[in-house]
Amino acid sequence: TGEWHKPGRRRIVPSSVVLTSFQVMSRVFLIWAVTHSVKEVQSEDSVLLFVIAWTITEIIRYSFYTFSLLNHLPYLIKWARYTLFIVLYPMGVSGELLTIYAALPFVRQAGLYSISLPNKYNFSFDYHAFLILIMISYIPIFPQLYFHMIHQRRKILSHTEEHKKFE
Amino acid sequence: SKHPDPLHTLREVEILDAKTREKLCFLDKVGPEHGLHWAKDPQWYPARQSLRLDPKGKSLKDEDVLQKLPVGTTATLYFRDLGAQISWVTVFLTEYAGPLFIYLLFYFRVPFIYGHKYDFTSSRHTVVHLACICHSFHYVKRLLETLFVHRFSHGTMPLRNIFKNCTYYWGFAAWMAYYINHPLYTPPTYGAQQVKLALAIFVICQLGNFSIHMALRDLRPAGSKTRKIPYPTKNPFTWLFLLVSCPNYTYEVGSWIGFAIMTQCLPVALFSLVGFTQMTIWAKGKHRSYLKEFRDYPPLRMPIIPFLL
Repeated sequence: TGEWHKPGRRRIVPSSVVLTSFQVMSRVFLIWAVTHSVKEVQSEDSVLLFVIAWTITEIIRYSFYTFSLLNHLPYLIKWARYTLFIVLYPMGVSGELLTIYAALPFVRQAGLYSISLPNKYNFSFDYHAFLILIMISYIPIFPQLYFHMIHQRRKILSHTEEHKKFE
Repeated sequence: SKHPDPLHTLREVEILDAKTREKLCFLDKVGPEHGLHWAKDPQWYPARQSLRLDPKGKSLKDEDVLQKLPVGTTATLYFRDLGAQISWVTVFLTEYAGPLFIYLLFYFRVPFIYGHKYDFTSSRHTVVHLACICHSFHYVKRLLETLFVHRFSHGTMPLRNIFKNCTYYWGFAAWMAYYINHPLYTPPTYGAQQVKLALAIFVICQLGNFSIHMALRDLRPAGSKTRKIPYPTKNPFTWLFLLVSCPNYTYEVGSWIGFAIMTQCLPVALFSLVGFTQMTIWAKGKHRSYLKEFRDYPPLRMPIIPFLL
């Protein structure tokens, strides 16, 4: 999947810049704009759920990259990276959605990050509605990312199986 | 013995797919005076077929003739399907007619936008009426320019662009119009002074933008696709060519800044910012191709903002 020679971009690992930025932005949003901003949700179980999912995912993912760069990738790590997501990804998404949902009443009550008319900038923003829109956006986005990973899994793990047969 | 005459030698043309290099077509006994439209597949329209000398190179034009291309008696051309195409004129008309119409829906406070007690009411602020006139004028001007002024160097663009472009123009128009025509709209902080200054900026920039479009049109005779360096003319608005390559974009940004100051509306300012970013990218590209094409290009000129950008 890697494209190693695109001019103007330094690439250390062959991941898509767009998909990765998206993931980083969504995580930063969950942490700062939701969990940190709405103190009342910090004791929710859903927070524990996504933190565990993200942590395990990242430990495996960075081990994968490290070993790949050292040209010594144990099959177990490759397997883990392309298999455990099947459980970890839905786990993380559930934790994220439940956390946002838990934050909603507090956002509405406090009018958090919201501005209403009239004001001299002639602008309005309803953070409560925005969070609901974010939750809805998971519906088209999550299946695409999930099935992309499943497709990658079939491609990469069966490829290794074939190699092993001829050893 | 007779030497083969290059002007009249028949050529062979093989056409390969630019991505897979598979042989798509072989034409023999092609006259050197044949243009490339002869080589294109009749089952798809020519605008979506790109033929080029190098798989990653620039597309050849339909008017290019085999004898003028750097090929021998056997020419290898690479084919690329550009996907469904749509004409530039169609895209421009659609993307500009939308904002014109949509803004008016909000201005007249058509039902289901604001509360029912406001249906078809009129704002009591002069600036709101002025803003409607300016916004409408701007898009009428663009539509007329598309029909009568602009000379497009490309006939078509990919079809998906119309969806992308219309979402941008129509979406922002609705967003801006919603606030400016809102019953709870707050007029500018500095009142009539601010509105007058902003209106002056807007009008000057609209005139400037139009002057540049006319000057660019006069650079290129009807039906031709020639390219020349634009220079200032007798019209003072065109003197901005001394300092920038794309003064039409400079004036366009100026117009929207004027409109933002006039309405004192944050969504307008954001729209101006996004537009400025996109136009800067285009201006830099245009500037770079001017520099590449013309050795004697005036060194003082910047792409879009004098001395700065």
